[in-house]
Amino acid sequence: MNSYKLGTYVLRFFSYILLFILLLIVIVPIWLLVVNATRSTTEIQQGISLFPSTHIVENYSFLGGRGLDLPRGFVNSLFLATASVVVSVYFGLLTAYGIVVYNFPGKKLFSNFIVVLVMIPMQLSIIGFYQYMSKLGLTDNYAALILPQIASAGTVFFAKQYLESLIVWDLIDAGRIDGASELGIFHSIMLPIAVPGAATMGIFAFVGSWNNFFTPFILISSKDKYTLPMLIQTLRGDVYRTEYGAIYLGLAITVVPIIILYAIFSRYIVSGIAMGAVKE
Amino acid sequence: MKLKKIPTGYLFIAPFIIGFLVFGIYPVLNTIGLSFTNTTLMSKTSEFIGLDNFKRLFADAVFIKAVGNTWLIWSLNFIPQIGFALLLSVMFTNARLNIKAKGIWRAVFYLPNLMMPAAVTALFGAIFSYYGPANQLLVRAGFLSEALRFFDSVAFARGMVVFINWWTWFGQTMIIVMAGMTSIPLPLYEAAMVDGASAWQMFTKITLPLLKPILVFIFVTALTGGMQMFDIPYLLTDGRGAPESSIQTSVLLMFLKFNSSKGHIGAASSVGVLIFIMTTVCALGIFYFLRDKEMDDAKPAKKSFFKKNTEESQS
Repeated sequence: MNSYKLGTYVLRFFSYILLFILLLIVIVPIWLLVVNATRSTTEIQQGISLFPSTHIVENYSFLGGRGLDLPRGFVNSLFLATASVVVSVYFGLLTAYGIVVYNFPGKKLFSNFIVVLVMIPMQLSIIGFYQYMSKLGLTDNYAALILPQIASAGTVFFAKQYLESLIVWDLIDAGRIDGASELGIFHSIMLPIAVPGAATMGIFAFVGSWNNFFTPFILISSKDKYTLPMLIQTLRGDVYRTEYGAIYLGLAITVVPIIILYAIFSRYIVSGIAMGAVKE
Repeated sequence: MKLKKIPTGYLFIAPFIIGFLVFGIYPVLNTIGLSFTNTTLMSKTSEFIGLDNFKRLFADAVFIKAVGNTWLIWSLNFIPQIGFALLLSVMFTNARLNIKAKGIWRAVFYLPNLMMPAAVTALFGAIFSYYGPANQLLVRAGFLSEALRFFDSVAFARGMVVFINWWTWFGQTMIIVMAGMTSIPLPLYEAAMVDGASAWQMFTKITLPLLKPILVFIFVTALTGGMQMFDIPYLLTDGRGAPESSIQTSVLLMFLKFNSSKGHIGAASSVGVLIFIMTTVCALGIFYFLRDKEMDDAKPAKKSFFKKNTEESQS
């Protein structure tokens, strides 16, 4: 019995050591980013510090002074992410509701098809997509980034799992007796109940759009429509090569809003991650 | 003529199907169509050139190398990613270890997954730059006599792409694996314990087999994502996969053809089509061969049980 207890302590000791090492690997780079965003280039070159300094305004004015319009990029990213969330969550729930509530020929086929779609690298058709959008005159237009969200297989997949555990048939029946239309029932009964799941889906859709670099990078060409990840690419350019403080600040501005969002909603986010993958 | 009423379900899924046809299927077909032509962004005319683009790619060492790079970088990242996920999940679900503050550990390990890959790449690029903190630390501590140009080394550049991928994904994978582990019924373990099974036996005989559907899901989605890797290798060095094209992935190559001075979108499409076929065949193949057939049979029974249950509880 004693050796068992000793063994437990030893195992526990090494487990915590591993956890602390991983913690450092995750936190130190992020912390360096935030701290260096407040330090001047000279300070950064003099050495590492784990404590913030006072040069944040200076760094910021340097960023703006060299023509990098971060506020504009921030607004662009925010607009694009919000619009993507609304479109993908609404149509995701609508599609999932259709699958869960109604019976129709091809239903099984359609829901299997959704699963397959999640596993197919659709992004690889970007070249054909680009040429097609340029024929329609939609390159350099956010519509080309937002409208495809109508058919977001990942969101439907998630929404389907969620609705299956949520649907209350009596409420739908009550709606029908009251003479509500089927779409009316979806809007006035189902959507309000589905708010928590919609929020989780929305957060993932938001982060996905906020962090997306490849698609806007291919489609958007005018500078005033650049999103934050595209501005990061500009930050690497020669103008900023030696302005470390400004570079770190630029990166911090793109990352900190997500960290704040996560700090507030982490409970919902973490519990939502596995929802698509694990069948309860 | 009697019109049959259209099932209401179709009306609900119609927007998805239309959206998918317009923004999903058509671009795929268009890409396939383009891959048989010599279309460029600069010229108005283009010719059908059959399989020439594909023949050229298979004869091109650059393409073969890019595909090899993608597989190498992805496997080197995926093995530790799933390894750490399994190890951490076992640690967090183990009653004997009884790790404190699980929620906080999990939340912190997941954080990198939410951070913008472009920003994370630029960050690690800055940390390991010539004047960056890594060099400062190593020189000052006496490990190096002078600062290193880390990204001139093939091994380091590849290792960095692998590391950033791992850093971004291990926490996410851990949470999915853990959700799978906690959904395994406890009585199975209790019965095994009564029979005198060791912890290792329980892990290999109960946990792993029951986790299989989730592991397959993780494997397939990670593969699909990994084969489309672009942001990290593009932003880490010169945007062309330096040093020595060692981190030039397939999608990066596709982008370079697209972004070349003439905009060879025909040739770029053929790269897209080949990676698309390769990834889809691997992903769906693995999914169909490895998924649990029994799970599918068990599902309808579960569903009807659930419905019956709610009906009973509400009557």
